[in-house]
Amino acid sequence: MQFLESILLALSSLRANKLRSILTLIGVIIGVMTVIAVVSIIAGMNRYVVDKISALGSTTFVIDRIGVVTSEEEFFEALKRKKLTMEDMEAVRENCAFCYQVGGRVVTVRKVKYKNQYLSDVYIAGATANWPELISGIDLESGRSPTDFDEDHRRQVALIGWEIADKLFFGLDPLDKEIRIGGRRFKIVGMAEKRGTFLGQSQDNFVIIPITTFHKIYGTRRSVDIFVKAQDLESMREAQDQARMILRLRRKVPQDKPDDFSIMTAETFMDLYRNFTSTAFLVMIGVSSIALVVGGIVIMNIMLVSVTERTREIGVRKAVGARRRHILWQFLVEAVTLSLVGGIIGILIGVLIAKLVSVTTPLPSAVEWWSVVAGLLIASSVGIFFGIYPAMKAARLNPIEALRYE
Amino acid sequence: MLIKTENLWKIYEVGAEKVHAVQGISLEVEKGEYLAIMGPSGSGKSTLMNLIGCLDTPTRGKYFLNGQLVSQLTDDELARIRSKEIGFVFQTFNLLPRATALHNVELPLIYNGTPSAERIRRAKDALKMVDLEDRMTHRPNELSGGQRQRVALARALSNNPSIILADEPTGNLDTATGSEIMQLFGRLHSQGNTLIVITHEAEVARYADRIIHIRDGKIEKEERLTKQG
Ligand SMILES: Nc1ncnc2c1ncn2[C@@H]1O[C@H](COP(=O)(O)OP(=O)(O)OP(=O)(O)O)[C@@H](O)[C@H]1O
Ligand SMILES: [Mg+2]
Repeated sequence: MQFLESILLALSSLRANKLRSILTLIGVIIGVMTVIAVVSIIAGMNRYVVDKISALGSTTFVIDRIGVVTSEEEFFEALKRKKLTMEDMEAVRENCAFCYQVGGRVVTVRKVKYKNQYLSDVYIAGATANWPELISGIDLESGRSPTDFDEDHRRQVALIGWEIADKLFFGLDPLDKEIRIGGRRFKIVGMAEKRGTFLGQSQDNFVIIPITTFHKIYGTRRSVDIFVKAQDLESMREAQDQARMILRLRRKVPQDKPDDFSIMTAETFMDLYRNFTSTAFLVMIGVSSIALVVGGIVIMNIMLVSVTERTREIGVRKAVGARRRHILWQFLVEAVTLSLVGGIIGILIGVLIAKLVSVTTPLPSAVEWWSVVAGLLIASSVGIFFGIYPAMKAARLNPIEALRYE
Repeated sequence: MLIKTENLWKIYEVGAEKVHAVQGISLEVEKGEYLAIMGPSGSGKSTLMNLIGCLDTPTRGKYFLNGQLVSQLTDDELARIRSKEIGFVFQTFNLLPRATALHNVELPLIYNGTPSAERIRRAKDALKMVDLEDRMTHRPNELSGGQRQRVALARALSNNPSIILADEPTGNLDTATGSEIMQLFGRLHSQGNTLIVITHEAEVARYADRIIHIRDGKIEKEERLTKQG
C-alpha cells in the first residue's frame, strides 16, 4: 500500500515530465546499457571462440612463419623471415621424438568451376595426408580424404567443403565428379559436413588437395604451416621445445637471436582472445561506472528537490502518525523506482544493441540472463545508494517545521 | 483525566534570544470535553496545541496523556501516540494535494497499521460522518474550502482518536462555511468526542463547554459556558 503508493508516485512524476525524466535517467540508462551490450557480445563470442579455437585441439600446435602479430612493425619484421619448407617439416617429422604426428599445409585462394558454374575466393589447401589427425572439426559427410597414395603420386583429387557441394552441385552427389581449379581437373573423392560460419565467415568454402599436387601446380614459393600433434598433454612442452631446436638448428638461428618462426597453440589464440575480452570488460566497467555515478548524483539531486518540494507533505504525514522509517521507505522506494526504470530502459537498449551488432556485423551475441539480473541489481543499488541521503533527510524533518514550510 | 499538564514551558532559542512561547501552563481536560483556547496572535496557542498534540516536547514540565507521561518521548514514540490518540485539523487544511479525499482520510490508518479492508471501511465511515461520501474520489483542488476542511476533519476522525485538536479551523473560511464546520464539531462532541479548538473568534469559541484565555504564554482566565440548546 505505502509501497505501491510510492512506486505509483515515482512513475507518475516520471510520466508528467518526459524530457526531464529521460535526462534524469540517462546516466543509469547508459550505465546499464553498456553492461548488457558488452556482456552479451562477449558472451556470444565466448561460446563461439572457445568452440572454434579448440578445434585445434589441446595437444596440437602450429609452426608458421608470421605467427600472431599485434603491431605493424612486428608484421614487417616477421615478413623478413625465411619461409618454412617441406624440408623443415620433414626434419621435424624425422627428428622430433615427442611429436606424434607432423603434417604440413599450404593455402591459396582460387576460383573453382563445375561445368558452367563457378565459385570465386575458395580456399585451396594443400595438405599432407595425415591432416585429419591434426585438425579436428572437419568431418566427412561422404567419400574420403586424399591419401598417402594420392600424395605420393601427386594425384589431382579433392575433398570439398559443404558450401562447394551446395553451390556447384545443388544437392546432387558430387563424388567422382570433376571440378576445375585454374583450368586443371580434380576428381572429387570426398565431401565434408557443414561447419557453419565463424565470425561471419563461411568455414565451408574450401577444397583440400594433396600437398604434393599443390606444389606441382602452384610452385613452392609459399611458406608451409607445420602442424604437430604431441603424444599427450604432458609431452606438449617437450614436443614444442624439440621442434623449436630442430628448426633453429636447420635454419641456423644464432643462439642469442629469437626464433625466426612462431609456435602457436590453442592456448596462444585463447590468450589473445582473453586479452581482448579483458580490455573490453575494463572499458565497459569504466564507462558504466562513470555513467552510473553521474546518474546516481542526478537521481540524488532530483530526490533532494522532491524532498524540499514536499516538505509540507512530509509534515502532514508525520502529524498523522508516520514514523521515520515510513518516510524513509517512501523516498527510498521512489528513488529505487526511478533508477529501476532507468535500468529497465538500459537493459532494453542494451539487448537491442547486442542484437543489432549481431545482425549487422560478424560478431555474434547472446543475452545472458545473469547480466539482466546484474543490470537490475546495479540499477537498484544506485537508487538505494544515492537515494538514502535524501530519504534520511526527509525522515529526520521536524514535523512542526515541515508543516510551517512555505 | 484525559489530559493533564503540569507547569509546561516551551522556550525557543532564536540566535542568542530566547522566546518564551509557553510559560508554565497547567491544564486538565476530561474525556468528552469541548475546550476552546483563545488569545491574541503570538500568545502561544499553536505552541500549546503542538505540545498537547504530541508534535513537540516541552522544554520543562510534565504532560500526561491518558495517564501516560509523554513529555520526554522520542520522535518515533510521539509519532506512534499521534497515530493512535490524536487527530489534527489545521487552518490551512493540509491535505495531500495529489491524493483523493478517501486516500487523505486513510492516511492515519496506513501509519497505525490498519489492514486495508478495514481501513477503507473506516475512511468511508469518516467521510460519511462529515457528509462527503459522494466526494470520495475527488482531489483537494476539486473541492471547496469548506469541503476540504470537512475532509481534514474526517481524516482527524478516522483513527478514532482520544482528542481532536483544531488550530483555527475556520480561519480560512467565510462565516457561513465556518459555522457549518462548527456545527459539525458540535455534532462530533455530542457523539462523545473530546475536542480542543483554538480560535480568536468569540463566535467560534462559544460552541465549547469551557474557554481558556491565554496571554503571553500564560493562562489569563478560564470561563465555563452553559449551553443554551
Ligand atoms: N519555531 C519557533 N521558533 C522560534 N519562535 C517561535 C517558533 N514558533 C513560535 N515561536 C514564537 O512563539 C510565540 C508563540 O507563537 P504561536 O505560534 O504559538 O502563537 P499563536 O498564539 O498561535 O499565534 P497566532 O494566533 O498568530 O497563530 C511567538 O512569539 C512566536 O514568534
Ligand atoms: Mg497559531
